[in-house]
Amino acid sequence: MSTEYRFIGKAVPRKDARDITTGRAKYINDISVPHMLYGKVLRSPHPHANIRSINTSKAKALSGVKAVLTYRDVPDWKVGNPLHLRVLGSKMRFVGDSVALVAAETEEIACAALELIDVDYEVLPAVYDVEKAIEKGAPQLYDIYPNNIMPQIAPFMGDNILQNIIMGDTEAGVKEADVVAEGTYEYNNIPNPLPPEPPGAVAEWEGPDTVHLWISSQGPYFDRLTLYYMLGRKVNVKVTACQCGGSYGSKGNSSPIYLQAILLAKAAGRPVKLCLNKQEHLTAFTLRLGSRIRGKVGMKKDGTVTAISGDWFVNTGYFSMITQGQVAVGLGEAQLAIRCKNWDLKSKTICTNRNASGWIRGFGGQEFISALFLLLARAMQKANIDPFEFFKKNFVKNGDRNIWRDGHWWTSKVIDFTKAMDKGAEVFDWHNKWRGWLKPTSISGTKRTGVGVGVIGNADVGEDVSESLIRIDPTHHAMIYTSVCEQGTGQRSSLCKMAAEVLQIPPERIYLAPQDPGISPYEFGSVGSRGTYAMGAGIIKAAEDAKRQLFELAAPLLEASPDSLETRDGLIFIKGKPEESIPWRTAMGVTRTIFGYGRHEADYSLCNMLMSFVEVEVDTETGKVDLLRVVNATDIGQIIDPPSLENQLNGCIGSAGIDSAIFEETILDESNGRMLAANLIDYKWRTFADLPRIKNVIVETPFPSHRFGAVGVGEITTAPGPSAVLMAISNAIGQRVVEYPATPDKILKALGRIKESSA
Amino acid sequence: MRPFKHLNVENIRECVSLLQEHNGRAKVIAGGTDLLGVLKGEILPESPELLINIKGIPDLNSIREQKGELKIGALAKLSDIAKSSLVQERYRALAESARAIATPVIRDMATLGGNLCQETRCWYYRYPHVAGGRILCYRKGGTRCWAVTGDNRYHAIMGGEKCFSSCPSDTAVALTALGARISIIGPEGDRIVPVTDFFTPRGNILDTNEIVTGIQVSAPPAETRQSFIKFSLRKPVDFAVVSVASAVSTRDDICTGVAIALGAVAPFPMRATAAEKILIGNPLNEESIRAAAAATVIGAKPLSMNAYKVELVKTLTQRVLTQTPL
Amino acid sequence: MINSHSSNTHKNGVMVMKEKNIKAGRKAKGSGDRNKGSGVNPSAGYISMTINGESRELMIGKDVQPWHTLAYTIRETLGYTGTKIGCDQGACGACMVLINGKPVLSCMTLTVECDGKSITTIEGLEDRETGKPHPVQQAFIDHTAFQCGFCTPGIIISTKALLDENPSPSEQEIKEALAGHYCRCISHYHVLNAVKDVIRKSEVK
Repeated sequence: MSTEYRFIGKAVPRKDARDITTGRAKYINDISVPHMLYGKVLRSPHPHANIRSINTSKAKALSGVKAVLTYRDVPDWKVGNPLHLRVLGSKMRFVGDSVALVAAETEEIACAALELIDVDYEVLPAVYDVEKAIEKGAPQLYDIYPNNIMPQIAPFMGDNILQNIIMGDTEAGVKEADVVAEGTYEYNNIPNPLPPEPPGAVAEWEGPDTVHLWISSQGPYFDRLTLYYMLGRKVNVKVTACQCGGSYGSKGNSSPIYLQAILLAKAAGRPVKLCLNKQEHLTAFTLRLGSRIRGKVGMKKDGTVTAISGDWFVNTGYFSMITQGQVAVGLGEAQLAIRCKNWDLKSKTICTNRNASGWIRGFGGQEFISALFLLLARAMQKANIDPFEFFKKNFVKNGDRNIWRDGHWWTSKVIDFTKAMDKGAEVFDWHNKWRGWLKPTSISGTKRTGVGVGVIGNADVGEDVSESLIRIDPTHHAMIYTSVCEQGTGQRSSLCKMAAEVLQIPPERIYLAPQDPGISPYEFGSVGSRGTYAMGAGIIKAAEDAKRQLFELAAPLLEASPDSLETRDGLIFIKGKPEESIPWRTAMGVTRTIFGYGRHEADYSLCNMLMSFVEVEVDTETGKVDLLRVVNATDIGQIIDPPSLENQLNGCIGSAGIDSAIFEETILDESNGRMLAANLIDYKWRTFADLPRIKNVIVETPFPSHRFGAVGVGEITTAPGPSAVLMAISNAIGQRVVEYPATPDKILKALGRIKESSA
Repeated sequence: MRPFKHLNVENIRECVSLLQEHNGRAKVIAGGTDLLGVLKGEILPESPELLINIKGIPDLNSIREQKGELKIGALAKLSDIAKSSLVQERYRALAESARAIATPVIRDMATLGGNLCQETRCWYYRYPHVAGGRILCYRKGGTRCWAVTGDNRYHAIMGGEKCFSSCPSDTAVALTALGARISIIGPEGDRIVPVTDFFTPRGNILDTNEIVTGIQVSAPPAETRQSFIKFSLRKPVDFAVVSVASAVSTRDDICTGVAIALGAVAPFPMRATAAEKILIGNPLNEESIRAAAAATVIGAKPLSMNAYKVELVKTLTQRVLTQTPL
Repeated sequence: MINSHSSNTHKNGVMVMKEKNIKAGRKAKGSGDRNKGSGVNPSAGYISMTINGESRELMIGKDVQPWHTLAYTIRETLGYTGTKIGCDQGACGACMVLINGKPVLSCMTLTVECDGKSITTIEGLEDRETGKPHPVQQAFIDHTAFQCGFCTPGIIISTKALLDENPSPSEQEIKEALAGHYCRCISHYHVLNAVKDVIRKSEVK
């Protein structure tokens, strides 16, 4: 398939490869501007408290301190969805909440100033459990949200976002089922995606109404747009996106940091850098949603799902950045993974007194299916259905109708994913390794292996709008103007490749304007696997537009119609007559540039697919789980850049993905609201020394609606893994393990090897 | 970090004299891999006004055997201990314990003295000040232990007394099995303390102005089989969840000498004396090993979340005695 | 006379370093015998080091404070921002540099303890005259052995150190040498390919 393309499908060094490998790439904490100050945040020691009084006079008097701000000193700027969290408030809602801000000449002075702020708190009772939080009499986090239930809206997703799936008749569905499973299942270990680079911002006011903000982000244009509204439409925010040191969605929740930097810079009259350290990153920045399902599912022996009903309680922590949107996508993705005519599933987004959950790769889908699939597995087990056959049967088919995140019915226009699934099963050797529910694949001494499988799809591959501009020059170079930001997917380079293919000039001759949304047009952001399809569509259309204008200029010179022309390596000719060509500069003249414009409109009719097969080994004496092998299977239509795709698929074990079933978790002590794994030794992550074997099975069945037949997959690679791992562990040890993560204590308990403690 | 002064010293006397002069407001820095983390986290209410750099003191990093005794200076790097052919051949448990620590680059920076004297890893103790205020506990002069009523999955299942954290030092476990002694020097002079007496429920027995200068181990009998096994969630990086070191001598299949030390189960390494009694003078077989393993946890009092450690101790003891890898 | 590096004042119980009080200290004589000696406050004077082939003299109390880590000095004082600070506690490897050719976590190293040392950062690897990337850097480019790139400088430094000491490590040895590097995008597999490629190419030579 890739042989018909010159550049698409071929590995090309990334545009920023040299900068990254030589240390030239500039990340947010590398930014330094003259007269810059350092910002620090005083954080609440209480999970829930009101500030009775706060005295900053000693802090202000410390030499080198240039600004100290409390809730009394700041405008009523709010973040969140809807806008509900004040940038600084008098109420603290989690341990780590922002009490006051300081800007000083050095970090040491800023830290010293924090010690000099005297605060008197009225400590309030705290609540951590989603169902306790909605009970009558529970501590209230927000007066405007009774019972701690967030409103079910997300304006940027439209007026009717999907918050409940209600269709068909679940009672009838249960009646026609052969087996019914019921229970409560959770994915509540709220792991931290923990990019290597902590979040931060640098702010510098350039005038009374203009502020320049440097950020680390996946969607700088969108950040700029939301900041405009958060700042009351009164401030012009110029955003410069730095090289982003990993985000996996999480840095989309940086608005509180942006506002704090902006306010400090205003108060100090000097630029301020506010960068969190790793400990703040672990305790005060984006976590995965907490997810609990109380549900019931009906299933036929042939794997048909006849009913899914229940309640999905979503724990968003102390505020919602976009949680309701994640709920909408999660509910949408569940319908793609599980064809079912009868649903009665209601969600509630609930706030509690802990550090906030926010948007992360997997975007609600991972959190939902990690709980839901445990319930489905129970039914599959009862009906003795091979889970691979189940997922293969139940994944969305072309022509299926389902409700996507916007609350509207969409008819899925999808390729047949079973080809990729079968290939994945073959490479994994699923049919030999699967021995039945709760049966190990092999036993050797105290070690047992087991296998599991999971699947996900996302119809956001074509989500939202992307605009691109491309400028072509008479020297047959081109410059792309896009607000697409580089955060690891290599997308900026892949866009060059797509433009190169359209214009038939080598990608090395295509440059990228700085990732500045002040220069470049609208871009929703490099999220949701939309890069290849949606952002790609934008750049492809822009390149086509530029090419069309070029051919219109060339046509009279070649005495032909523009439609009959072709170009290659800067030469234009009539199709089939390359020997009679004119260079671009002859058609354009040296004093001209051509701008092409392209726009992709949201399209939710197609989706991607990722199926993950996992094999684990459990030592039944120690409870240790080793992840032996992962096979990912996907069909992405057309590979754009092989190494970038492999990297993204390998990412299934990063970003709080698969390992959230094995050892990753945020540890919340409910007796004092503290998050205990507050350093990089106590928070567990996979090292070079513990790598599983990974094989990525990539099928290419072209997607007709993309110029190169391609669709993205990076965002969903983490989602199917966790539930697949618990399935594999359960099969290995012959006991159901349904708690995340399955650490040795839980395995030993499931095996009955732990006597209850006497303490 | 909060500001401090920094001085290099050339000999131990200078170091002790400075410690005495600052009387608790100065700290010794060797590898710095624990100290700098403690200072950056601002986990302690007091911050030193002076760091005394002892890395320049000559001969404090030697590894040698003299008159049937292994002597290692406090400044010996963990990587040097792990790679030393002397230690590998005759004090194997120590080499294996050093090898199991952290990562290669940390082992190249960290020292034996630092590994023995490092602060506990209890996550209440280590809670970073920046994240909402440090946590005070018994170990810091406060009035409670948060682990007892909180998340104590990594904490002690025995030996706790007001403080229930577990000793993080891997070398201490091996040294306990080897019956090592620790050399200490202070303003009052020097002293030698068995490693089993070095640690206390709330730290170690060093007085404010004392430092560790090295360790000594009498060479075990030639036929002694030594082993160290460490259980953690990840192979590198992690501190032990549970570890066990053993030194066993047999003659004609009868156990003539045995030492079993348990790590990360108490605020100090524990000699499993009940287990040792079962083995000594008896054949070393599956049955006796199983009985010994069961005896290691006699008297264990797990907290609400760490009963699994009891199982792990038994399992690891069996494996270390049968030399079965994890 | 070398003045005390600061007059520390205590303001509200906090020690504050007043940079302005520092007077110029005369350059101490001889390399290596500064910063030693009992009784003399060696925090006065200079730290001399070579960084990426260039000698730098840092005045203690002005260019560098005793509590500055090498990572901080490299980045903030000397402007080599290629070395990253991730966790700032030695657990992620992003701050790896070479000191006298050996890999060291610069965030866990005090600059004042680096007198007389030769430091190499990621910026110092490419050929100074031709600008050509170091073979390790080139292999990382060829294999796209990175995604967000934040961990990459540290990994490249560790790789160079490994191969300088052991030109033909096994896969296991490579993994162990890199085990302290936190990479969250999961570029590990491509990194291993890149490192093996360097080994292969150097064996062919």
